Formats: sequence, structure tokens, C-alpha cells
Amino acid sequence: MKIDLSQFRQTFIQESADHIASMETELLQLRTAPDDVELLNSIFRSAHSIKGGAGSFGMKNLAHFTHSLENLLDRMRSLEMVATDEVIDILLRSVDVLRNLLNADPNANPGADMPADAVELDGLIAALMAEKPAQPEAATKDAQQPVSWPQEYPQSLQDGREIKLYKVEFRPDRELFSSGTNPITLLRNLASLGTVSCCHLHEEELPALADLDPSQCYLSWTVELASVCAEEELREVFEFVEHLAETRIHCADDPEPTAESPAQSSTEAAVPAKLPGSDGQSALVERRKAPSVDRRQSSVVDRRQSNTRPAGSGESSSIRVAIDKVDRLIDLVGELVIAHVMTAQMVEAFEPSCLPKLREAVAAMERNTRELHERVMGIRMLPVGTLFQRYTRTVYDIAQSTGKQIGLETIGEETEIDKSMLELLGDPLTHLIRNSADHGIEAPAARLAAGKPEEGQITLKAFHRSGRIVVEISDDGAGIDPERVRRKAIERGLISAEVQMSDEQLIALIFEPGFSTQEQISDLSGRGVGMDVVKRNVQQLNGTITVESEKGHGMTVTIELPLTLAVMEGLLVGVGDRTLVLPLLSVIESVPLRNSQIVRVAERGEVVVIREESIPLLRLSRFLGLAQETTDSENSAEGNNRRRLAVIVEVGRRKVGLVVDELLGQQQVVVKSLERNLHRIDGLMGATILGDGCVAPIVDVTGIGALDLFSLQTPVKNFPQVVPPAQSVRAASSN
Amino acid sequence: MRQMVSFTLRQGGYEVIEAEHGQDALNKLQGIMVDLILTDLNMPVMDGITLIQNVRKIPAMKNKPILMLTTEGLASKKEQGKAAGATGWIVKPFDPDKLLQTLAKVLP
Repeated sequence: MKIDLSQFRQTFIQESADHIASMETELLQLRTAPDDVELLNSIFRSAHSIKGGAGSFGMKNLAHFTHSLENLLDRMRSLEMVATDEVIDILLRSVDVLRNLLNADPNANPGADMPADAVELDGLIAALMAEKPAQPEAATKDAQQPVSWPQEYPQSLQDGREIKLYKVEFRPDRELFSSGTNPITLLRNLASLGTVSCCHLHEEELPALADLDPSQCYLSWTVELASVCAEEELREVFEFVEHLAETRIHCADDPEPTAESPAQSSTEAAVPAKLPGSDGQSALVERRKAPSVDRRQSSVVDRRQSNTRPAGSGESSSIRVAIDKVDRLIDLVGELVIAHVMTAQMVEAFEPSCLPKLREAVAAMERNTRELHERVMGIRMLPVGTLFQRYTRTVYDIAQSTGKQIGLETIGEETEIDKSMLELLGDPLTHLIRNSADHGIEAPAARLAAGKPEEGQITLKAFHRSGRIVVEISDDGAGIDPERVRRKAIERGLISAEVQMSDEQLIALIFEPGFSTQEQISDLSGRGVGMDVVKRNVQQLNGTITVESEKGHGMTVTIELPLTLAVMEGLLVGVGDRTLVLPLLSVIESVPLRNSQIVRVAERGEVVVIREESIPLLRLSRFLGLAQETTDSENSAEGNNRRRLAVIVEVGRRKVGLVVDELLGQQQVVVKSLERNLHRIDGLMGATILGDGCVAPIVDVTGIGALDLFSLQTPVKNFPQVVPPAQSVRAASSN
Repeated sequence: MRQMVSFTLRQGGYEVIEAEHGQDALNKLQGIMVDLILTDLNMPVMDGITLIQNVRKIPAMKNKPILMLTTEGLASKKEQGKAAGATGWIVKPFDPDKLLQTLAKVLP
């Protein structure tokens, strides 16, 4: 029977990736606890599992490499070898190699050579093993085994078959039954290899019934058998009972019997060289170990053949979901179906008295839809811890190569975030952490001189704040020097020398394209392509990024992201003749607003004072370049009397009042990307389709907050032209 | 790995009860009869050797075949397994056909 295991390949790859990640984490823990046997065992088990699977899926290089790794780990877990920093470093690099090997193209030639890095590390591991041989012989054998293993299998199959007559003596020990072996089964297996001409039972040792211990085996057999099989195959039948029975196989063609001595033989090391079937001359040779060698070879051959089939299960990205989450979804779908049936029946035979019931059914459907939405989104949510983990390694690598001492603390790993966002967040975070470790944290001497502890600290923190996810990367390093930023910016032509800017504004310049203050470009954190790319990545996720820095005391980068990108709770507002959507989560309140309440700040903009708090105002109509406001002369009586509303929204820790004409309602909206259809527009995060089929732009409240509000009196030029009336765009830009 | 083994076994027409590790297997053995036990050697909580020793203490399981899955072609592991009462072993890398053959070999 041929059994196809390719459906498990994807699972294997996923699980191995998990194993690799946990190996990495544990190796890093090993630095502080080099003799923690539990930890070493766990690392070993991970390598072991990868190896097992790799072999089964014909990933030869991976299997080979993990084998070497496993030998090393095995020595370590039996504490024959100490986990020095050097060893851990090699192991960490091995983990990288594993990752590469695992992700290698599955359709590539399975016989492809090992990649260079794998070969190099394989050599290093072998060198380590040879270096400190606790048991010299075993060590060299182990180290060489991976090298010799792949070369074994070309000469495997047997040929030249003819019918031979065998006489098999099988004398089990009394204790045979203790191994769970049934001698009858063995005899049947033997019989299946040929034709039994005679089976003789020796019952001489059988005691009288009174003395008989039924848990002991008193019997032995002699079987005469005609078979085409080689002696090896016969012997294989008794493979598992070598230590519990004396088995002699005489071949009628051979004058001498082949002696089979129980277990302890001293010739083991020499055996594998003598392969079975290399020719008739070897029939008399002691070959205890040969069957298992033979077996391994033929299974290797089998796998190679089955390997020529391309791996069917594609590389589609997948997600693992807890079963109870799926079960709950199925329940919900069931309820939806019931609600639908109810509604359908009522619509079919509709009479006015049905109306309350119909309402009820629709309400149930709404509840279910909402819950369904939440739960489907929940499926996509993963804890950020999975992402944070990998930075321990990043920081470790940088600390190693720069000679700094850096600790990484992670807080809020359990905070859940949309899977696709998690993936997209990886790169920006890597960059920020490298920045902190490479540029932020000072060398130990400089830190001591500044009165700080020798070890620098980077903190990675995730938490929820008003419906958004906040990720903070902070360090206690040198911080950003605004003066240096200024000099650099002038040098780069980003600002002119006369411009007066606050420190805050200067620091924000680091997000400008082509900016890097580190005079000496290091290979670690790139060459000034960094922060603007980080900013762009975060913006793509509809997030914002801000920096706070205190010179000499470190800096904090804060990234704020929406929980999910696809659906959100929206507040529909009317501005002019348009409908806009505001993300409800950022709305705090809405207050009636008269023009007389608006306070102008000379040359800067407008604020409204609400409960003694001045809140800057943003006229959405103007900001988005809608026409109405321009005809509405601000000091006219009409303007003063017109009732408007200020929707107060929270942006980070600031509040902004958005001036709108009316509130239209609240509903869930599906966010459609504008970028996919048009291009990115500052101030809008997307658009949605309302119940009546109209397109309503969604205001990017966070984006607005990140802009300098007081310079926003000029309208955005790129308002999407798909939204009528089109002439307003022109009117606004000529404004 | 376990998934592959049980998949293969089910394809081969066997009923399979899976366990996470040795201790789990022992728990699951309470009150049921099985015809054969197949165990890995490297497992968390309770390893394969300990499992075999414990299974052999259960009267009903005294003479049932126990196979161990082992990558260690090394004699030491095999010896330990044999001493603990294992009936036989299967050398990894895991090969479904080999597994079924070996099973047929030890099952009555």
C-alpha cells in the first residue's frame, strides 16, 4: 500500500517553524542558565521533531543538518558538553540555517546540494564534537555519521535470487513473553517467506503441569523452509527477539551453519561496512546489524522515488485556529440560517400583524451578524508575543557585534492583533529595534560615564488604547539630539538655516526621506533609508507613528494601529451635501457649535472652548475641499445662525473638534481601500458603501491628528473625484 | 509526526488512540484494551522508555506488543527499550509502508 503523506507537509512546515522559533527563544534563555537540563531537553526535542519530519518528507538536507545538530544537543543535554557562549552562538546560527532549509523551495531538486552556510555550520558542529570528545570513539563516529550516511544508499538492492532450502532453529528464552512477542506470529511470518516443508516442535523442556509457569516459554522449534529469500530476510523475522532467543539458520547449500549469538557482540563497529548481498561470499559473515542497515537503505530509496512527485499542497499561507473558535462560528451560522428561514416565511405570507415578529427576526439577524463579524475577526487575531519573541535574537545579535550590553523587556505580549497587520508590523519594528540597539544605546563605558547602568534597556510594549493597538519601543539610550538633527537637516537641504523649529518639530524630521544622523553608517540599521520607510509602512496600516525623545535619557517611538482593517463601527455625518464616516471609536462627544463660540488664534487657526478646555477645530468641509464653506462668508448673519456641530475626536492624547453640519447615524461600515482604486489620500483612510448604495469617504482621524493642525487651513488637493460633485474640488483648489 | 503515524495506521485499517506523551498514554490506557502500543522515545513529561516500563506493569498489557519509534539507530536506546519490555522498534525516518509491515509482523 502506498500512502501519500504530502497533505501533512504544510503542517510539518508550520510546526517546524514553531519549533525553530522556540529553539531560538530557549537558546537565548540558555545563556543565563547553561546547565538547565529541562531547557536542553526541550531544545533537543525540537530538533528531533524537525529531523523526524524532514526525513519523512524527503527533505534530505534538513534531515542531515538536524541530525548533526541533534548529536551536538544530545551531548549537551547529557551535560557532556557545556553550553558556552561560543556553542550557543553556533547553535543560534544553526537555527538560522534550519529556517532557510525549511523554507527552501519544495519543488527544487531533492538531491540538491547543501547550501554553503549549512555546510559551514555542519563543519563547525563536527569540529565542536571532535574538540571535546567525552568518549573519543563515539564522538568521531557521531561526527562522521552524517557525512557517510547519504553515500550509503547507491549499492542497496539484492539480486541473483534462487530457491534455497533453509533449516531454521528457533530457541526462545524462557522470558520471551515478557517482551510481548508471540512466537506463533514469528513462525507465521517466517512461513510467509516461503514454503514450509517441515515444522518440528521441541517440547522436551516442558515441565509437568503442576510446575508449569504460564508466563514462561518452554518450547522451541525447527522449521524447514524452501524460499527465494536471502538469509537476511529470514533473519529479519527474528530481528526483535535477538536478545531473547537463539536463532540458527542453516542454508542447505552451505556446509556450515551461520551462528547467531545473542546480543553482546564486540564487532558492531565493523559491521555496517559489510553490506548484505554484495555477493555470495559473505553468507557466513557475522551480520547482526546488517538487517537494520539494509532496511534503512531501502526505505531511503523508496522515498527518493516517491519524491519525484511534486508536492501537491501549495505554499498558500494558512492560519491555525482553535477548534472552539470554529465551533462557535458554526453555531452562529446555524442561528443565522434559522433567522433567515423565519424571515423568509413571514415575507412569503406577509400580513401587518407579522411586523413585530419580523422586526424581532431582523434584530436577531443583526445580533448574529455582528457577533459573526467579531468572531471571524477574532480568528485573525494573534498575540503580538509571537512577533516580539524574535527581537530577543535581534537585540542579542547586535549586542554581540557591537560589544554593548543590552536587555530587552517585552510587555503585553498577549495583546492580540490582526494577523496580516502582525506580519506587516514585523519590518518596521525590526528597524526601530535595531535603531535603538545600534544608535540609541551607548557603549558600556559611555553609559557608566553618564551615570547609567552598564546594561542598556530596550522595552517593547503593546497595549490597547481607545480601540486601537499601541506598540511602544523605548530605550534608555542617548536619545535624539535636536541640534544634531537640525544640523543634519540643513546639510541635507531639508530645512533652511533660518527656520525656527521646536525640538518636537525637529525630531519629527527624522521621518523625512533620506535622513540619518549616525555619521558612520553601520551595517546593522541600514543607511538612512530607515525611518521614512518605517513611517510609510505604518501608514499603510492606517496607523500613526510618533517619537518622543529626551536627550541623554532615551527615546520612545509609539506606533498606533487600528485593531483591524476590514470592518469598523462608523458615525455617519453630513458635511455639505456629502456623507462622511468617522470611526466611532475615536469619537468622544459632539457638541452644538455656533460661529460665535469659535475663537480665532492669530495666524494659526480656530479653537473652541468646551468646559474650559481649548480644542482646536478643523472644518472638515474646508479640509476636504468641499465647496459650501467658501460661499458661507464667515461673518455673515447667515453663517452665525447656521447650526453646526463639533464632533470631538480623540487622536492619541489630543482632542480635535471636527466641524460637521449634522449627525446622520451610526452603523458598521466595511472599509474599502482607496489606494487599490485611486491612490493614498491624506485625511481619508478609505471609503465605504452605504445601505443606499452611495460611496462615503471615511475620515482618517488619526491621520488628521498627526498633521500639524494649524497649518491645515489649505485644503487637500487630491480629493477623490469619484465622489460628486466634482466641481467642488476645483472650487476648493482655486480657493 | 503523530498525525502522520495515526493517518497511516487508520489508512491501514487500524483503530487509533492518540496520546500527547507517556503520561497521557498511561491515562488513556485506563479501562480500555489495546492490541498494540506504538511510542516515540523522546517525549515531554514521560519518555517512551518509562512508558514501556509502566505499561508492562499493567497486567492486561503484560504480553501485548509494544513498538518504539526511534531515530537513534544507536544500540543504547534500543537496549534500554528492550530491557524495558519493548517488542520491537521502527527506525525513523518515518516510512508509512515500513510502519504497516512492522505492525503486521508483531500483531497476532
